[in-house]
Amino acid sequence: MSGTLGRVRADLLALVPDLGTWWYAVALGPLLLAAVLLLAAGRRAAPPGHRVLHRGSMVAAGLSALGVAGVALDRPVLEASWIPSLGVSFSLRPDGLSVPLLLLTALAGVVATALHLHPGREPRPEPVDLADTDPTSPIPVVRGEDVPGLATYHACLLVVLLGALVAFLAGDAILFFVGLELVLVPMWVLVARYGDPGSDREGAALRFLLVTVVASSLVLLGILAVATATGSTDLALWAGEGGASLGRGSQLAVAAVLLVGLGLKTPVFPLHTWLPWVHATAPTAGSVLLAAVLLKLGTYGMVRLVVPVVPEGFAAWSPLLAGLGVTGIVWASLVCLVERDLKRLIAWSSVAHLGFVVLGLATGTQAGLQAALFGNVAHGLVSALLFVVVGGLKHRWGSADLGRRRAAVREVAPRLGLALVLGMAASSGLPGLAVFWGEIGSLLAAWSPAADRPEGWFRGFAVVAALGGALAVAYTVRVLREVWAGDRVEPRVPDAVLTERTALRLLGVLVLVLGLVPTLLLGVTAPFVEGVLGR
Amino acid sequence: MTLEVDLSSVLPVLAPLAAAVLLLLMDAALPGRREPHLVVGALGLAAGLVAALPGLRLAVGEARSSFCLAGGWCAYRADHLVSALQVCALGAALVVLVLTWRDWSAPGPGAGAETTGRAPVVTALLLAATAGVVAVPAAGDLGSLLVALELATLPTVALVALVRTTWAADRRARAVDGAVALLTTSLVSFGLLALGAALWVAATGSTRFDGATRAEHPELLVLAAVLLVAGLAFKVSAVPFHAWTPVTYAAAPLPVTAYLATVSKVAALGGLVVVVRALGTVEGTTLVAVAVLAGASMTVGNLVALVQQDTVRLLAWSTVAQAGWVLLPLASLSAQAASAAGSYLVVYVTATLLAFVVLAAVVALGVQARPASLEAQRGLLRSHPWLALPLMLALLTLAGLPPAVAGVVAKVVALRPVLGDETWWLALVAAVNIALGLAVYLRWVAVLVAPAPRRQAGGVTAGQGEAGTGDQAAAAAAPAGDRRRVPVRLWALTGLLTALLVAGSILPVGAL
Repeated sequence: MSGTLGRVRADLLALVPDLGTWWYAVALGPLLLAAVLLLAAGRRAAPPGHRVLHRGSMVAAGLSALGVAGVALDRPVLEASWIPSLGVSFSLRPDGLSVPLLLLTALAGVVATALHLHPGREPRPEPVDLADTDPTSPIPVVRGEDVPGLATYHACLLVVLLGALVAFLAGDAILFFVGLELVLVPMWVLVARYGDPGSDREGAALRFLLVTVVASSLVLLGILAVATATGSTDLALWAGEGGASLGRGSQLAVAAVLLVGLGLKTPVFPLHTWLPWVHATAPTAGSVLLAAVLLKLGTYGMVRLVVPVVPEGFAAWSPLLAGLGVTGIVWASLVCLVERDLKRLIAWSSVAHLGFVVLGLATGTQAGLQAALFGNVAHGLVSALLFVVVGGLKHRWGSADLGRRRAAVREVAPRLGLALVLGMAASSGLPGLAVFWGEIGSLLAAWSPAADRPEGWFRGFAVVAALGGALAVAYTVRVLREVWAGDRVEPRVPDAVLTERTALRLLGVLVLVLGLVPTLLLGVTAPFVEGVLGR
Repeated sequence: MTLEVDLSSVLPVLAPLAAAVLLLLMDAALPGRREPHLVVGALGLAAGLVAALPGLRLAVGEARSSFCLAGGWCAYRADHLVSALQVCALGAALVVLVLTWRDWSAPGPGAGAETTGRAPVVTALLLAATAGVVAVPAAGDLGSLLVALELATLPTVALVALVRTTWAADRRARAVDGAVALLTTSLVSFGLLALGAALWVAATGSTRFDGATRAEHPELLVLAAVLLVAGLAFKVSAVPFHAWTPVTYAAAPLPVTAYLATVSKVAALGGLVVVVRALGTVEGTTLVAVAVLAGASMTVGNLVALVQQDTVRLLAWSTVAQAGWVLLPLASLSAQAASAAGSYLVVYVTATLLAFVVLAAVVALGVQARPASLEAQRGLLRSHPWLALPLMLALLTLAGLPPAVAGVVAKVVALRPVLGDETWWLALVAAVNIALGLAVYLRWVAVLVAPAPRRQAGGVTAGQGEAGTGDQAAAAAAPAGDRRRVPVRLWALTGLLTALLVAGSILPVGAL
């Protein structure tokens, strides 16, 4: 059986053209080109209509996704001298750690560009209680329409993708940092200009920007400290040295600076306060990218820059990190039980999921790292799915306030309802769906952590995290009861349109597939994990 | 005792000076003409620039020197870093001259003694100051250093004071205020420098920086260094020696402000590099004084810039903050630190000049009563995208944020020596200031990209111009009515500087 599969796989791979490093041109070129063209088009007195812009942007993201798939299959290595005086090279080197995240980024890119942007509008008039018809309430437009600044919006989405891909691909620390910073300005524009006008979108955007810039400045300090100690900015060389050129004190300091910086990006409790606000304000596509791509940069940075590079420092801080992760799980889950804004609630559940990821990382075992990487990707998929649903609902309802009486989604928008059920079920860690493997893996790893971790503490963390997981079931039930179930059918809202249906199917199928066949992903990351912790 | 003189290596200094003398002679021979003087000035600067270019190709340890004694010591010594600073200063001075061309070549008021304007005088002053700036980093002894620094400073005082006679009286009075502030601080700083130099001689027994400075009294040497650094900190406008900066910047004509913000900074940094190199051969300690100056400059500069409503004042305070970044690497005394500071300065000068050039173009457009105010630039990206985009690039470079990779790399270069020393407190202050600086510059960027406000029909009137700044008065004096156009020379400068920054973002130079 496996022989047949192997042959089929080999035959399929033989069909893929061997482009070598040209895959990078396919993966990154369309994004850059389309972003520049879109910006130029947006400056014209009469910008092209929404169909042209939307399709152009989708084609760019699609082509780039093809290129990323090619990169994932071929894994070509590109090395070119970039800043000789600093010894920085323009090196792109995908490996088992970055390939899943690259694919996730490409997928999130396709989803984000496919979603329609709608201008912010006044909340729909609230129907009088129990007056079960409200004929004057307008049905919102859910198809594409001409929005001012649509070209810039799509250009920003594409630049965010470009920056994230560069960061994930980078084999050089400075290049990674450039990618990390490249996503900030476009994301700021997305939130400040296209965010929910009903909230303080400029404040949210500024808060996002300042927090993430402080974070990346700290990351830069860590990078430079390691770079001066090792005399190189090559990430593979850093991982190979394993912190041999840094003393214990330096390792502790570097690990602390890097963990605080990346913890702000991830975000880890108590550095998470910016996330719910920004998520609640960002446009749907912005939320999708934020959850599925930007937050991943934080965890990716921890695995890339901290775990193998300063192992001693990371080991010293890991009990604290795990404790904060677990606190985040419980804290965020409790908030989810009372949060009134649906989008904000999903953002809080993100904090909880990322708590599990951090817990898995902190255990210092292969199983923990595997679980963390799995949970990372699973969270990306599930939160992207949920933000597509919730963003769509928020646009249809006019607000995401759970306190208002609305029609049951099950009755009026069954497709969105199904996706919501799938997403919330996955989010609660239901076996058979993607998130389950990440969470159970983290718990098991925390029960038996690496030899140099305090076992008692970690067992305690495992117990508390398991309780947090139970809380997840509670808030899932709350959301489904308030939004999905019921028999009210007014005010009517339209069901998912084609772009939303496609995006939801794509994400939903992947959530199911990863839940049923987790080895698909674990097999990709295993060589990397063994390389990092096998020593 | 024989003195070897190599004129070709001192040409970067000689060419502007020769041009200054030549154009003063020309003024005597050809009174009443203005354009030829400016052309001679530009040629002098360009000749110096070309003469300094070969120095960029010097390998490590090589230098072009002159006025050498038999023992190997030279009064003038330009290695790779010094040559880069000289190229930067001469190029920036050339940009300023082009920027101010029309202003200086315009005639004075109708009759009287000043029918010629002041082109010969101000151009000669500019050339003399630039020659001083170029000489500072190459100085091989304390005497040359002090003389060159004064040559670089004193003419700028006159440049600030000598504004156009067509300006309103109160505006000219403000210019004199600014000049007095600059003069006072430069005198105080010269006093500190002289004291530092005296202590230096007392400590080392020599005025020369000859590679192997031997200190009989290390404490005295450190005190001398601190005084020298304090004297130079006035010029680089580091906190707490920055008080003159906002006053003078806002009072001087825009091109002169650009000169003070860019070329003069090269002199200050050049002096610091000389001192740091001389000290570096003595001991490998960290100068806490420099670290404190750097941290304080960044923080105060950024915080005050955050609340400015006028773009010139904002740029003034931003130069205070950027002075902190230039000083930052010098906190660790090493050759790497000196070249890091120099590299950061080159990027800073390019970006700041670009910002000033665009600002001059916006003022030339004169769309609003107060064109230099932040509010007047709202929606510039919509109305004048080819001005707003370079300005945004310049601001992002100063902030150090992609897509302006040149700025990111400059920040990396500046931070490297600090982390090499593991001076964590300073590194953390710098990290917070990256965010603060970003808030400063993005505030401006946000205004540029914001939707344009509704304007009333009709532009400025001459009356409004008189009440405003002098540059506006100049703009208002030009034939009003039709939509004003940006002069070609400003477009050329914008294009050139933008191309430099874009090239530096695609293929960054990194450390010099």
